[in-house]
Amino acid sequence: MDSDREQARFEQTVIPHLNAAYNLARWLTRNGDDAEDLVQESYLRAFRSFDTFQGQDGRAWLLAVVRNTCLSWLRKKGHQPAAEFDEQMHSTADQSPNAESVLLNQAALGSLHDCLEALPLEFREAIVLRELEELSYKEISEIARVPVGTVMSRIARGRKRLQQCLAGALR
Amino acid sequence: MNCETARNMMETNDPALAEHVLTCPSCMIGTHARYYEAPPGLERKIRQSLRREQSAPSTWRWLTLAASLLLGISVAWNVAQFRSRADREQLLADNVLSAHVRSLAGTHLLDVPSSDQHTVKPWFNGKLDFSPGVKDLEGFPLLGGRLEYFGGRPAAALIYGRHNHTINLFTWPSATPTAASTQTRNGYHLHHWSGNGMTFWAVSDLNETELGQFVSLYGRN
Repeated sequence: MDSDREQARFEQTVIPHLNAAYNLARWLTRNGDDAEDLVQESYLRAFRSFDTFQGQDGRAWLLAVVRNTCLSWLRKKGHQPAAEFDEQMHSTADQSPNAESVLLNQAALGSLHDCLEALPLEFREAIVLRELEELSYKEISEIARVPVGTVMSRIARGRKRLQQCLAGALR
Repeated sequence: MNCETARNMMETNDPALAEHVLTCPSCMIGTHARYYEAPPGLERKIRQSLRREQSAPSTWRWLTLAASLLLGISVAWNVAQFRSRADREQLLADNVLSAHVRSLAGTHLLDVPSSDQHTVKPWFNGKLDFSPGVKDLEGFPLLGGRLEYFGGRPAAALIYGRHNHTINLFTWPSATPTAASTQTRNGYHLHHWSGNGMTFWAVSDLNETELGQFVSLYGRN
């Protein structure tokens, strides 16, 4: 039947990108259970609008759906996507630096994780898509529906904030 | 310092790593920020929900199919009803015509030969469970009445004349009103109509125009 072929084509196109979808949802929601639910919902949404898929990169197309699903969920939950990053708090983190390099390195990576999670949503999504998914600026601009220039500036500012955050944490 | 160096530093726990994270956090993300992999079972859940989603439109397909099937049955039933009603009417018309021809062929045209409606009408008392409308019609003299039998029930036959032609007007009670109709068979004209819970058949070899006049005259009176 035609619809069975369509489902098979859909599964071939997007199921391989399940990890990318989950990773993005997990970083955007900062919660494993929510990410799982939202990924599932995203796949349903993607399936319903599969006729809009023009045969471009399946991963970027799926990530756009995941991103929109997560953002509308966050908005409904009352999250402010543009919540300002509390640089004061992060720069005065009261973490005592450890002399042991192992611990320091672990602290550095732990802080890296915390600082990335603490980034405002639009910086976080740009950095995750760029550094973890290694998408191009153009692909990110299509997913986030902003100009390429905005993507570049978000990534640059995101990196700068990460640096500030880490400096505060590791000082 | 590049990311490759940073990775080596991480593996060897080089004390300078923390420094590097500070100077190049972005490249550290690519190598050391956590890449969350989908939990086991999520793929299965997704495939299941996709299958459910797939079967949802098919429910609609079934509903549509069932609805069109019902519509088809209903149409067919109505057509059958309509046809059987038409068939019944044709059968009745056959009987009406036969009764008319029979009444003229033999000697049994009139049970009560009278031009007086007050003689004819009471004559049916006790013979029928209804009282037929016997009327004096100008230009169509009443000749009398006769008992008939149609479709399993007794009927009144009122006989009127017009020049040398004979008109049989058959009437009996009928619960379902039917549309008026006319037809011509073997040179005889038949008018059929209903009203006031009675059904009427007028049949004669009289020309159609005059039979029509008779029918409208009877209906008006």
